Amino acid sequence: MITAVFVVGFTAVLILTIIVKGFPYLGETFFSEEVQFSIRMSLYTASISTCICLFLGVPTAYALTKTSFPFKKICQIIIELPLSMPYLVLGLSLLLIFSSDFGKALKEMGIRVVFDKNGIILAQTVVNLPYVVRFVRNAFEEVDERLEFISGSLGASKWERFITITLPLSKNAIISTIILTWSRGLGEFGATLMLVGATRMKTETLTTSVYLNLATGDTGAAMASATIILIISFTSLFITNWLGRKNDPKSRMKDVTLR
Amino acid sequence: MNKMVEIKDFSIRLGNFELKNINLDIFDNEIFAVLGKTGSGKTVLLESVAGFYRRFSGNVNIQGKSVVDVPLEKRKIGFVYQDFGLFPHMTVSDNIGYGLKIQKLDKQKREKKVAEMAEILSIGHVLNQYPGTLSGGERQRTALARALVLDPKMLLMDEPFSALDPATKQSMYKQIETIHQIFGCTILFVTHDFNEAQIMADRIGIMVNGELRGIRKSVNLFESCQDEEINNFLWGNSRGVKNAV
Repeated sequence: MITAVFVVGFTAVLILTIIVKGFPYLGETFFSEEVQFSIRMSLYTASISTCICLFLGVPTAYALTKTSFPFKKICQIIIELPLSMPYLVLGLSLLLIFSSDFGKALKEMGIRVVFDKNGIILAQTVVNLPYVVRFVRNAFEEVDERLEFISGSLGASKWERFITITLPLSKNAIISTIILTWSRGLGEFGATLMLVGATRMKTETLTTSVYLNLATGDTGAAMASATIILIISFTSLFITNWLGRKNDPKSRMKDVTLR
Repeated sequence: MNKMVEIKDFSIRLGNFELKNINLDIFDNEIFAVLGKTGSGKTVLLESVAGFYRRFSGNVNIQGKSVVDVPLEKRKIGFVYQDFGLFPHMTVSDNIGYGLKIQKLDKQKREKKVAEMAEILSIGHVLNQYPGTLSGGERQRTALARALVLDPKMLLMDEPFSALDPATKQSMYKQIETIHQIFGCTILFVTHDFNEAQIMADRIGIMVNGELRGIRKSVNLFESCQDEEINNFLWGNSRGVKNAV
């Protein structure tokens, strides 16, 4: 109990520090051109990278849970390896790949990655994809395969089983994953910094804005940007919890626990 | 009589458990019970007939075709689990009409069939409710209705009445008898209840430790035999029931 009180107290102090230091500057900073740019850039890149993560993550999670193929375990380890890697290292790896001849060829085709907003989207995707795969995989694993079997015995093809049973029963977990991925994308910094650098009004996200303002000694503006991130994170966490409470999967599943 | 199910030299290993060398024929329109203690392998046998498992030795044929060679959605098997396995995010009506919707039957015909089936099984009053709000008997009837509305060739049931109170059980036995007469499908069910097996089944297979040790007509269930484990299973647990029978 004492430990819990300590943890809660410490976290509350961290949050309060940001609010107390940032709130007085919020008004003037929020409407500055630079912060407006960084908010737009953050919202845009986090939204696009979340869509890409879902587009790639859901089928991957399905393949890892509902199908069997050679070297599945190894594939799973490879996909989840970035979870334990520093994001700075991931960013360095991306920088090396996209600074190579391959990256140059892409640039010639009009696809810029290094020092471009596409790079921010890529960095957020690479960092978040393993989380999406893991969260969605857990959600799919929680769906009783006997329900899918019954669905099949009633004539549903594999695709119909997925659409009518697996996906609806994983809905809440997937919505939570979307929100968390989006807010994680919003807060991504390490890999982004390595791949696109920190250029004002060009590759400036909210986290980059905090970094740049701190580097130039403008603590107030940095804390104001941090407060904006905090507000967005709090809102997304609130929505996630609200959705979780609104339709608790455990209570929904209690009448179909099979053996 | 035509064989609906033909199991030949069937063995399967699942972790530490093994079903060993099962041989069994079930005929068209027959009601067959698999009787055994908990953990004897009854459910695994039932799931194997449904084609739940793909790795095994021997053969499981339904109407002459290996069950695993026919895609799940084309096997025409109705399956009712012990806990009914209703889709929790769908109403009773949607549960029953699920297979019909998959078949792309138009809404009017679908609703008509669902209503007919609900009437046969006396669950018309709960069609708009979700499974979580139903009683055990209503869930059981919903699961049966969902399986039967597609007119399956074969109905498989895993301890379908174990969660029901005695009065509901008795009414379900009668209902299954009626359903069998109306739909004429072959029924294979597993149970650990001697009384239930005798009341409902034409023949009974006795499972002991993953082996199908004996197959008898239900009226001859309590005949003693050379197999001591079968005798222990039957006589050690059921003197009261035997006397009643």
